[in-house]
Amino acid sequence: MIQWFKSGFSARRSRQGLWGVPLVIAVALVVILSLGTDQFATRENLFNLIAQAMPLLIAAVGQLFVILVGGLDLSVGSVISFSTAILSLDGPAIVLIPVVFLLAALVGLINGLVITRLNVHPIIATLAMQYVLLGITRILRPVSGGTVPDVVIAAVQGSVLGVPLPLFWGLIAVGLAAKILYGSRFGLHLFGIGGGIAAGMEDAASTYGIRVSRNIVLAYVACALFAALAGVFLAGRIVSGDPNVGLLFELDAITAAAIGGTQLSGGVGSLHGTVLGAIVLALLANGMNLANVSPFIQTAIKGGLLLAIVGLQSRKKMGL
Amino acid sequence: MTHPILRRLAAVPPAYWVFALLLLTLWIARPNMLNPNVLGIFVRQVVPLGILVLGQLLVMRVRSIDLSGGGVILLINYIITSRTFPEASGLTFIAMALAIGGTVGLLNGYMIAKRRVSAVIVTLAVSIILVGLVQFLSSGKPPGDVPKYMNEIFDIKYGPLPLPVLFWLGCTGLVWLVMQHSVYGRYVEAVGESAEAASFSGVPVERTVVMAHVLAGLIAAVAALVQTGSIAVGSVRVGLDLPILAVAATILGGVVFGRGEGGVWGPFFGVLSFALLFVVMTVFGIDEAGKLIAQGLIILMAAILYGARAKRG
Repeated sequence: MIQWFKSGFSARRSRQGLWGVPLVIAVALVVILSLGTDQFATRENLFNLIAQAMPLLIAAVGQLFVILVGGLDLSVGSVISFSTAILSLDGPAIVLIPVVFLLAALVGLINGLVITRLNVHPIIATLAMQYVLLGITRILRPVSGGTVPDVVIAAVQGSVLGVPLPLFWGLIAVGLAAKILYGSRFGLHLFGIGGGIAAGMEDAASTYGIRVSRNIVLAYVACALFAALAGVFLAGRIVSGDPNVGLLFELDAITAAAIGGTQLSGGVGSLHGTVLGAIVLALLANGMNLANVSPFIQTAIKGGLLLAIVGLQSRKKMGL
Repeated sequence: MTHPILRRLAAVPPAYWVFALLLLTLWIARPNMLNPNVLGIFVRQVVPLGILVLGQLLVMRVRSIDLSGGGVILLINYIITSRTFPEASGLTFIAMALAIGGTVGLLNGYMIAKRRVSAVIVTLAVSIILVGLVQFLSSGKPPGDVPKYMNEIFDIKYGPLPLPVLFWLGCTGLVWLVMQHSVYGRYVEAVGESAEAASFSGVPVERTVVMAHVLAGLIAAVAALVQTGSIAVGSVRVGLDLPILAVAATILGGVVFGRGEGGVWGPFFGVLSFALLFVVMTVFGIDEAGKLIAQGLIILMAAILYGARAKRG
């Protein structure tokens, strides 16, 4: 246990990345905020914080899947907007909700196939997908509007036994991801594939009998499905479809994963680190709002934090 | 594709095909649009992108990427239009712009080559910082007017040829010279082929990558000056989508991470294709949404054509 805890602070020894740093930052932020401001530790603010953090957390968990295999998904934000647009169409919830996830899976499938079979760089493939999806979303819903099925709204707003409903969304997403990443052969293979790619031996995993292409495709499908989940959640929050709600979400998701110690070259990263990364970002935004820091300089501070933390994670590979 | 001529044709970067196709479409649909004056105006609009692409292709050749150009353009645009320095002359602005671009490039290069941090993350973070800084300084409001003389320089024309377009041609020629005929150009090529092999052959790999990023920063500064000249009023959103478009145009021009068959002129035509694409879509009355979809599909097609060939070769 102590050994495991120590590993979170040494980037070189750990497969899980430098997750100790965001843990320290998160704890420090909570202590500072509860001592420094009266509003932080209130029920209302904490509810708010949880609701604000969840879509980012869910999207970041999805992003983790592709980053682990040395990829990157820039289409996450557009999948989120796209999902809210679909949900705000006229139709019964029983049809719309499965359609959202089916289409997201299709998006992930296309991303994955283009990257693995057609040998296109992940940044380029998912960037192209982002453009196409944004275009389709604008056709479906040029400006924000429409109404989201009542089921979705009811599942996002309110609380059960004093526990806010959004927390359940996060718990389910993280639980699901934990089961896939740490409790399945697929998860183990993802780490194996990523480790090989990071070491410059693209086919290391396939020599051990792992189906590299198929697993990478599935990672993109998983990423898109988590993004769709975040989109459904957001649709419930804003009660309508919005073509811009997911704008730049992929960057926040990547930021969260990177702060959590996940390395973009693949193979190194952890679910708890990514969750901590998302929590740090949410705490930071919440705390700076409470302290009346200009929302504009918050952006700059977020960028500075990202730069500082990834500066600690030196690696062998140079470039992308 | 075994015939030598076919193979030769297949090696032409996608940008040339797309350019020819769009030109043909325009010629059939609206032949009267194909006069130098009209096209000159459209091409002039993409000059900032065209200049930014020169930096992008340089860093992509050494297997890196630069997404910080948007932030650099925004900051320089803000400094010029906000009248923070009311006494500053045109030359002072140029010096300031180059200083900003060079510093950002050096920071990018240091973090990427020496600290070995992911280039996507570093340049993205730098861009986020710069955008946040500008929005903080301006409180999200448009800063002010662009000095008149900048607009006037931008509007100069020699016959049908606008000065910005000639300037872009000149810059592209300069980068072509550096890539073809300088030791540094050879270093870039060697690092792109294989950083490891280059290192064993005595190429200063880290320095080459740092230098590529410094040059990209300086080029982004030049793009920022041209972009500022092209608009009348400063903005807090100007240039933010340019880095991504630059990546797209570079790929369209046949330069992908580490490989550069397209040279310098491939991406040049990639940018021209984008200019023409906007003309064609405006002519056919395609709206914003359709433009996004078409852009995405073109990027994808270009990358697939190139990706497929990389596998075979």
